[in-house]
Amino acid sequence: MKIFIMGFGAVGKGVVKVFSIKGNNLKQKYGLDFEIVAVTDTSGTALCDKGLDPDLLLNTKEKTGRVCDYPEYGIPGLSSPEALSKVEYDCLVEVTPTNIEDGEPAKTHMLKAMSDKKDVVTSNKGPLALCFKELVGTAKNNNVQFKFEASVGGAMPIINFAHENLSGCDIESIFGILNGTTNYILSRMAKEGSSYEQTLKEAQEMGIAETDPTQDVEGTDAACKIVILANSIMNMDVSLGDVEINGISKITPESIFLAKKEGYLIKLIAEASLDTLEVSPRLVKEGSPLSVEGTMNVATLKTDLAEDITVVGKGAGSVETASAILSDLISIWKSKK
Amino acid sequence: MRMNLVLELLDVPGQLVDALEPIGRLGANIVAVIHQRDVKTEQGTVPVQITIEGDKDTLNHVLSALEDENICIIAVDGVLRKERIMSILIGNIVDQDVKSTVDMLNALDGVNVADFNLKMSDYPKNSAARILIEAESGKRKEVLKKIKEVGKSKEFLVINEV
Repeated sequence: MKIFIMGFGAVGKGVVKVFSIKGNNLKQKYGLDFEIVAVTDTSGTALCDKGLDPDLLLNTKEKTGRVCDYPEYGIPGLSSPEALSKVEYDCLVEVTPTNIEDGEPAKTHMLKAMSDKKDVVTSNKGPLALCFKELVGTAKNNNVQFKFEASVGGAMPIINFAHENLSGCDIESIFGILNGTTNYILSRMAKEGSSYEQTLKEAQEMGIAETDPTQDVEGTDAACKIVILANSIMNMDVSLGDVEINGISKITPESIFLAKKEGYLIKLIAEASLDTLEVSPRLVKEGSPLSVEGTMNVATLKTDLAEDITVVGKGAGSVETASAILSDLISIWKSKK
Repeated sequence: MRMNLVLELLDVPGQLVDALEPIGRLGANIVAVIHQRDVKTEQGTVPVQITIEGDKDTLNHVLSALEDENICIIAVDGVLRKERIMSILIGNIVDQDVKSTVDMLNALDGVNVADFNLKMSDYPKNSAARILIEAESGKRKEVLKKIKEVGKSKEFLVINEV
């Protein structure tokens, strides 16, 4: 299976690393052979029909920061869309940084790959939260597969889990903590009694929160994810603009104190149910399934037949997120066997 | 027929006798009373389980008589009559008129604010309040919606239960 990796940041590197670690194992276990035929970043492209070496890709990126410095097969300045038509591939792995304004350029790249009859796997929330119907529709019309497990909850299985393991159930609602950064901040505030500002600063120093944490703390990131879940597993037709969003920047130690006295925690919860689509700080009973700590993600699916089902997992991380992409790739490969 | 009631009484002398009085007066039999004063709710009230016996009309009369005397009936035959809804507000709670906040919620039928806990912050604009609301069962959605409305009108951040 020939793979085109677009984007060589944390997730892209995770995917290449996972190929390096798991390559032999996948060959033995499934007879599945992944070949990376192209990797792009902002500097250009490394491209080879016969496959690039995962370890050499990682070393090159580590050393120079540019994938186009890959010996022999690196092409400086060759942009992602140009590269798409320069090499034969089976599946595009789209892992460029997310854009929540218009989902570009990832959206165009994915649509192009689909119309070229290529399968697409992505971790990119922006295009999914903004133009879910268009992407899924285009994949369907071109009879290709489009998978995006890594876009929600990182390593936590949820989309494929709902589609496959719960395929006989109707999902009536989803409640979840879909952002690790805010969960870390709120968990620390509850433990230490510290202020929001102080805790955010600590999280930034630890690399858990970004320098510009707006998308995380104001709830936009979680909102993108609940839109993806609402569309993909509840068959809703919603977009980012339909979500009522309140972040955590106004949460005070006093409010956490009052909640704790009654056995509650304050968590940033994303909810999709019949008449509600929102991200807001909510009270969660201590010890209940949603009361997970640190950077963990969690989601409870309320189903008609199986009642409540809760999944927990690491919501971010390079290799962790790549594990979800790998499972999408394997499932595409299996379906074609 | 028999009916199992859970009442919630204040922990002061005479409360249990007052609650039992209408039962005998209206002709129902008391089968059992379980009253543990050391088990208390957060509000310091004592839950009391009472099983009574009588015909259907008599039992219904007893229920109305208890309600008329403002005795809090939590559950009838295992079905909750009242539910508790907790919410936390963050904002300029005091300047935004605490009384009107409570009144707006109490204005809902079958709903009353049972507890209001205010914690001031160094910045009065970021004070926090915890409200405990008792509502007739089935009113949860309506109450949560109302709290959101109140929050919006007074620019509070509303933190409702999941």
